[in-house]
Amino acid sequence: YPVFAQQNYSNPRAANGKLACANCHLNQKAIEIEAPQAVLPNSIFEVEIKVPYDTTKQQLGANGKKADLNVGGILMLPEGFKLAPKNQIPAEVKEKNKGVFISPYSSEFDNILVVGPIAGKTHQELIFPVMAPDPEKNSDIKYLTYPFYAGGNRGRGQVYPTGEKSNVNVFGANQSGQITEITVTEKGESTILILNSNGKQTSQVLPAGLILSIKQGQVVKADQPLNIDPNVGGFGQEESEIVLQNPIRIYGYLAFCFSVLITQIMLVLKKKQFEKVQAAELNF
Amino acid sequence: MSVIKKPDLTDPKLRAKLAKGMGHNYYGEPAWPNDLLYVFPLTMLGTLTCIVGLSVLAPTQLGEPADPFNTPLEILPEWYFFPTFNLLRVLPNKLLGVLAMAAVPLGLITVPFIENVNKFQNPFRRPLASLTFIFGFFTAVWLGIGACVPIDKAISLGFW
Repeated sequence: YPVFAQQNYSNPRAANGKLACANCHLNQKAIEIEAPQAVLPNSIFEVEIKVPYDTTKQQLGANGKKADLNVGGILMLPEGFKLAPKNQIPAEVKEKNKGVFISPYSSEFDNILVVGPIAGKTHQELIFPVMAPDPEKNSDIKYLTYPFYAGGNRGRGQVYPTGEKSNVNVFGANQSGQITEITVTEKGESTILILNSNGKQTSQVLPAGLILSIKQGQVVKADQPLNIDPNVGGFGQEESEIVLQNPIRIYGYLAFCFSVLITQIMLVLKKKQFEKVQAAELNF
Repeated sequence: MSVIKKPDLTDPKLRAKLAKGMGHNYYGEPAWPNDLLYVFPLTMLGTLTCIVGLSVLAPTQLGEPADPFNTPLEILPEWYFFPTFNLLRVLPNKLLGVLAMAAVPLGLITVPFIENVNKFQNPFRRPLASLTFIFGFFTAVWLGIGACVPIDKAISLGFW
């Protein structure tokens, strides 16, 4: 959950570029960013994070029952870029984002936006309405190309911030030996007893809902998986860049292009004129 | 079309030059002023406009501040060092790796000396130099791709 990151990391992006989400969501799955190449100051634009996955798959819920996957996303904008104020968001984006609550990461970092967990079936494209800053009002902002980072996740995590494993994991045998007994409680938890060659017996409890990949009487090695990997989700991160563009520069460039075009046409015309002189005088 | 000057074949000086395979500037479209004064500025302005356009539409990127205490997740040199970087990380001995890197320019230096008796400039008539180039080019591309993949696939690229 984004809230876990908010509680434990003041800045969700480590200096080496890893986003904090990857500490709990261990599986990797790609995401895509869609954003404008350049934006004007004070304009509202949308950044879209695509979090595709196979919607027919279901994951293991915290209670051991099958559940639909949720998605979540994080968007780390350059400093000064903010979530667009509600009254300035275009109506169509509002319509698409119904029931989606995008919030700033913290009061310190209002340029980092998080969303989720929300139902993945209806929201595989997370749309963030963003307002660009104005260099006229804030002298720290310059007209430049800025990098920005995005992360998107589907499904539950494998580790809790406390370091405990969640039930969406592959559990390994705690010692090598023979499996003497598998008992399943009424809650669905399975207790596995392993007897090693020295006669030492250990027991292991696997959370409910996992599909065991071993049978009674089977000989297992230490850390050999006891269940089939239940994880169908994964986290992906991506980076892109965005230009904060000055409209005056665009107008200036267009004027420059126009003057160049006129000059080039004039040069060609002058050449053609001079060629007539050359042809008439036959002296070159 | 543009004005074309005919070669004056009665001129013995020009004939002597043509016989030597030279003197092509004596005929055709005159360079001055047709090309130098009118067409050159045209192309220069076109190039300038492209460069200015790039600098306006894609200004400098302000990267993140450098942190000397932090190793990036992926360490890679500039792309043109990929092949030699791969040599350095694949060879088990550091000295061997450095020697292999040094051998690249040294090997290239030897090429004109090995084939120096050959007077032809046509690459098809300089098989040794051409083959060195072709073989070296493909090796460099192969090793360069290998530098971007995990070290166990650095040489095989996962094909075997």
